[in-house]
Amino acid sequence: MKPAQIPWLVLLRGCGRSCLHQSSWNFERMQNLGLLYQLLPGLRHLYGGAPPPAVLQRYTGYFNTHPFLAPWIAGTALRLEERQLAGEPLPVDAMAFRQMVMAPYAAIGDALFWGALRPLAAVVGLFLAMQGFLWAPLALLTLFNLPHLLCRGAGWLLGYVQELRSVETLQRLRLPDVAIWLKEGTVILLGVLCGILAVRGCEHQAIEALWGLVLLPVVLLFAWLARRGVTSFALVIITTVSLLGLALVMR
Amino acid sequence: MGITDYLATGTLAMLLGLDRVAFLQCMVSRPLVAAPLTGWLLGVPLTGLEVGMLLELLWLGRLPVGTVIPPDDTQVAIGATALALTLERLLGLQGMPAVILCVLVAIPLGQVGLYADGRARRANGQLALQAEAAAAAGHSRRIEWLHLCGSGHFALAGLGTCAVIVAIGTLILYPLAPLLVGAVRETGLSLQYSFTLIGAAVLLGTLNVRRGLYLFGLAFVATLLVLWLR
Repeated sequence: MKPAQIPWLVLLRGCGRSCLHQSSWNFERMQNLGLLYQLLPGLRHLYGGAPPPAVLQRYTGYFNTHPFLAPWIAGTALRLEERQLAGEPLPVDAMAFRQMVMAPYAAIGDALFWGALRPLAAVVGLFLAMQGFLWAPLALLTLFNLPHLLCRGAGWLLGYVQELRSVETLQRLRLPDVAIWLKEGTVILLGVLCGILAVRGCEHQAIEALWGLVLLPVVLLFAWLARRGVTSFALVIITTVSLLGLALVMR
Repeated sequence: MGITDYLATGTLAMLLGLDRVAFLQCMVSRPLVAAPLTGWLLGVPLTGLEVGMLLELLWLGRLPVGTVIPPDDTQVAIGATALALTLERLLGLQGMPAVILCVLVAIPLGQVGLYADGRARRANGQLALQAEAAAAAGHSRRIEWLHLCGSGHFALAGLGTCAVIVAIGTLILYPLAPLLVGAVRETGLSLQYSFTLIGAAVLLGTLNVRRGLYLFGLAFVATLLVLWLR
């Protein structure tokens, strides 16, 4: 295998472009142009400024994965393009690699970042805001963005340097397990948050804090309704109308 | 609100709207960040934080996966903060009951965001078709330009949604707010806390954690007992 030839500056440009991965998200081909946009600085370097139409057309087809893990794919795809251009025999070409990993990477990224880290960061932020900390939004941003930006940056570079071995690196990180732990932490924090709200409500009504336990079945009922497909919007309307009606009747 | 405030709100709606899909997704578009930022820009940071706290959990369980378009809580947060300032300036109404009214009006109006976001994504479909032609011709610079144009569609979708929330919300709240604010005040903390509790419940229902209900129940009861015994 020939050593990598693309300069670090060009790689960094591609990495920076990963921030705009979903700029042209569309229903038909989803993130196709986003991937090509990341690869173009590298492809231009490889093809002396003008990548041929055949290469560009390879990337205009359907592509969809998690935006934070797309850099892992982009880095590897660029290295495979480089080796393909050098005429090296490849176990898998850039197109096939892209097709193989986009769905598993999407599943990993969605579960970790959207399904676990985002709720945890939001609940921590909300928890701090309710304690009166004005910098709570900054806590949310920090908690979410440290892993996010690390994943983007390291993903691009590891993808390029490690090539197909980057898949093993990602596997070794056991991200699905991390997602489950984060979700469990979020659920516990939600319980604490609701418990605090219940006690505060009781104190405001000047009743014993233990009455707050009444809230537990209500929250669980709403959780069950949500699982059955009732939207937040509908629950807000039902609750608001009930509470306002009750307030008017008690007046 | 003066013209400068509207311009600032519009600019923020576009910039934070980009964070939802098109650019970086670093979560500055979350209500807990977007609303205080709007409030800070308009000179009412605490009102913004209150709006953000009410809205943060409501749609957190709706994941932006595949072709799913989650409700635009960013524009609801920005719009509700702008509405709260409008109520304060026009009618002298302030405090949590006024904020809750603004949020209650902004939530249904925010459904426009689903339509606007869908339009932006369909418009981007046209860009993808043009990019295919550009690729066939070997015009890589044009592909880059077309890709970046997609951000413009998302920014416009955000701006349009925010404009609808602020404009129609003002028309609704101007006559109704003085009549309803008393009733909202009488609900005490229940209505205020109900947003967070509904959000928590929906999140709990969608997090898909094994033994999640037990963990939640245990944490809830333990917290309550600790605070009761304190």
